[in-house]
Amino acid sequence: MLLLRLLPLRLLRPEVWAAAFACLLLLAPLRAHAAFDLPELARLMAQVKSGEAVFTEKRSVAMLERTLESSGRLTFSAPDTFVRETLKPRPEKVSVVGNQLALTSNNRTRTYRLDAVPEAAVMVEAIRGTLTGNRQAIERNFNATVSGQAQRWTMELVPIEQQVRDLVRSVVITGQQSWVREVTVVMADGDRSVMTIEQVSSVRAPGTPN
Amino acid sequence: MNPEEKGALQRAAALFRRGVLVVWLACVAVAIGIAWRTHYVADLSAFLPSTPSAEQAVLLDQLRSGVAARLVLIGLEGGTPAARQAASRQLAQALRQSGAFDAVHNGDNTQFEATGKFLFDHRYLLSPAVDAQRFSVDGLKAGIDETTSLLGTPAGALIKPVILRDPTGETIRMAEGMLPAQAPRMEGGVWVSRDGQRAVLLATTNADGADLDGQERALQQVRERFATLKAEGVSLLVTGPASFSVGSREKIKREVEMLAIAGGVAIVGILLFSFGGSLRTLLIAVLPVACGVLAGVAAVSLAFGNVHGMTLGFGTTLIGEAVDYAIYYLIQARSRPGAPRGDGAARWKAESWPTVRLGLWTSICGFAALLFSGFPGLAQLGLFSVAGLAAAALTTRYVFTVITPDGAPGAGMRQRLGQAVGWCSAVLPRLRGPLAALTVAAAAALAWWPSAWHANLASLNPVGPEQIRLDEELRQDIGASDNGTIVAVAAADEAGVLAQAEAAGQRLDKLVEAGVIGGYESPARLLPSPGTQQKRRDALPAPEVLRAHLEAATVDGPLPARRLQAFLADVEAARQQPVLTLASLTGTPLAAALAAQVLPGDASAGGTRPWRALLRVQPVDQATIDMAKLRAALADLPGTHVVNIADEVSSLYARYLKEALVQALLGALAVCVLLGLHLRSWRRLLRIAQPVAAAVVIVLAVMTGLGTALGILHLVGLLLAVAIGSNYALFFDQIREQQEALPPGAAFTVDTDTLASLALANITAGISFLLLAFSSIPVLSAVGQVVAPGIVLSLLLSAAFIPRRQS
Repeated sequence: MLLLRLLPLRLLRPEVWAAAFACLLLLAPLRAHAAFDLPELARLMAQVKSGEAVFTEKRSVAMLERTLESSGRLTFSAPDTFVRETLKPRPEKVSVVGNQLALTSNNRTRTYRLDAVPEAAVMVEAIRGTLTGNRQAIERNFNATVSGQAQRWTMELVPIEQQVRDLVRSVVITGQQSWVREVTVVMADGDRSVMTIEQVSSVRAPGTPN
Repeated sequence: MNPEEKGALQRAAALFRRGVLVVWLACVAVAIGIAWRTHYVADLSAFLPSTPSAEQAVLLDQLRSGVAARLVLIGLEGGTPAARQAASRQLAQALRQSGAFDAVHNGDNTQFEATGKFLFDHRYLLSPAVDAQRFSVDGLKAGIDETTSLLGTPAGALIKPVILRDPTGETIRMAEGMLPAQAPRMEGGVWVSRDGQRAVLLATTNADGADLDGQERALQQVRERFATLKAEGVSLLVTGPASFSVGSREKIKREVEMLAIAGGVAIVGILLFSFGGSLRTLLIAVLPVACGVLAGVAAVSLAFGNVHGMTLGFGTTLIGEAVDYAIYYLIQARSRPGAPRGDGAARWKAESWPTVRLGLWTSICGFAALLFSGFPGLAQLGLFSVAGLAAAALTTRYVFTVITPDGAPGAGMRQRLGQAVGWCSAVLPRLRGPLAALTVAAAAALAWWPSAWHANLASLNPVGPEQIRLDEELRQDIGASDNGTIVAVAAADEAGVLAQAEAAGQRLDKLVEAGVIGGYESPARLLPSPGTQQKRRDALPAPEVLRAHLEAATVDGPLPARRLQAFLADVEAARQQPVLTLASLTGTPLAAALAAQVLPGDASAGGTRPWRALLRVQPVDQATIDMAKLRAALADLPGTHVVNIADEVSSLYARYLKEALVQALLGALAVCVLLGLHLRSWRRLLRIAQPVAAAVVIVLAVMTGLGTALGILHLVGLLLAVAIGSNYALFFDQIREQQEALPPGAAFTVDTDTLASLALANITAGISFLLLAFSSIPVLSAVGQVVAPGIVLSLLLSAAFIPRRQS
């Protein structure tokens, strides 16, 4: 209620769904002959069952005197759990399990229903769709453009819902082979954040090609 | 006696008769006047206890006048998602303008701009983060870091415009506390169900829960405004307590009218049939019933200030027994050939009136038990029946003997009915053995089978199961579960109750941390107690101190102090702000939100009801809450109660049932004592009790065998069956006594007309209650199901168990 929709918007921090995309790290080497497009990307992502990565994030905000930096850990496990844990400069945690969203900072944890915050839900659902190979989920929420080759690909996501687009202009994910290397979020007001990701480990679905 | 004296006596008698008529007419006129001005109500709260426990008081406050009773849940189904969302926005807008609602929520927050500004202006009184530490160098640094970390994110876009005035993020801290954990799903800017197939709205009527007319008007607004939307393919669903109570009232009204008409037609038909189609006789026969209803309405109206629709529906049928009086009289007082005018009345007064009077007393004993129940609805029922039966009997005794001194002239089917009954009463005693065996078997089965007394309060609810399911679905969509757990705190005044809510909140915070509960909503989050607000205000440092701390805290930080001058000004302004009270929130949506959680006491009006605050507790992930831990955590807080609505409702019903059971037993005991005192014979008392008790046992066994969940109204029904059934037993006992008074061997012919009157009375009463049994209102059908077979059995068993000597 009230102006209080504010808080869950924390969810829209790029880290949250960068956590999900971290799993792209774990993608199998792409078949060279295949045209590289969204269905192909989604198909490969569906094979990833869980993973862990570390991230560093730089955010440039027009009204601040300097760039904000943070770092931490990202984990994902199928079908619907993401955790983004910031370790520096201050401990913070965002975890999404199913429709439950939990935010922890300053030793306080609050839980909310994810679908009550559509700006966040749209993104999480899209990521979940991506990771589980549900391309329809992505297409329902974003206009997605995949370009480049398996060696160096880029996916640009533009939110479909106007309310979300008022806040986020686009999300650009770049990857190399099976890795997600970088997630850039461009805000409607021009502020942007760039998150670089390094894989720590991954677990693939049994029987999937390496 | 000389002729003069005789003449004077006759004149006096005539004068007396005229006087009786005048008094009677005056009484009828007064009763009509009272009934005319009576306020008829139909909310179910009359069937809730008047002397509740502390926990039940919380529940009842909620049910009677709390916001819970004013909720209207609206669903919009069908059509495209876009059509539903547009309809939701338009309907919400239209309803807000209608003025019939305190608040209309549909997830669209644009209307809260003013509220947001209000909260922002008072953030230093309202934010839970505000304390002296918050404005130290370290506190400021941490606060600014946390807030700036949101910049560059979607949340940051909302903070940006205010960050220079609120660098420590108090707005966010307030938001955290106020955002409900169970918020509905949002789509296209409005609330929708979890599966996205339905737009949902939540409105609270202006009208109080007890003001059914006002609630009906509000519901009418919803339908009318929706009709003008022309939303393509979208259909409207309305549910919630307001819709339930208005719907119940409609249903009760409709059924009571229908039953009255059906019962009237049936009884009139039987009477016409039995009295040879004499209209005059018919009119006379319904006179006691009409007087009874009038007297009942007048008495209840005078004693309670209103008459419940259920009482009327019920009571009218209860005094279907009153028709019996007319039937007894009209048949039994018919004149014998050659007897002078008025002989029938005189004979009836001497022979049958004592029995009828005794029957009246036993019935009154039965119904009077209801008078002392703690439930206004049942007490109304008791008073209605007592007054109604007494009026009907008195009308028969004093008015009939004047206006129709020789009973009813028409023969009709009476003679044949009498013969048939005569035949039955000759045959039935031979079946005595099998019937006794049947009774014993029924008693054994009752002892053997598990108790069937497990109906619940919901079984009193005239609302259908589909509607209840729809209500539950919409509640889940909105996160407004009905069967939740509430921590209720009480205190003498507003400040006290908010402080108490804060104290309870601190305990609950620990439980949230420990994972015992998922969270809770507290009014103190929206409006902290004056003490807390004062403490926060006192924590705000003087301008020069704050300026120095800010300089130190922002060295090398992302936000330099020079840009935060507005922050310094705002803090200084907050140091002068008066603390907020409920009164200062009037007119804001916050006031409506608080009204749901703070129930004012009436101490200022000289009452004793305390102020109450309700903290709704949420479980962890749909699990059940560990009530023992919750209670233990709050045990030593005075004026604090943990209320589980579902538990409270069932304990309410258990108490309801227990009280009714005690009353029924007392009523039955009173009937026995009365009969014992009157008959002064254990033998006769036993003789009368036998068939009635057997009838009760058999009815109970059959109901149990059929798997019916028995509840309070079945119990009331049994009491009625005893009260009415004992009348028949009394008559058979009277016949037997007449026979035994004759010398042995003397010829005794049973008066078939008396038997016919019994059968006729039984049939009419049986039909009235049978009609009730088919009612779709559970309260009425439960009574009908028990009483109809109960009284028919009472008659048959009386004929079997109280036989006359075979000559």
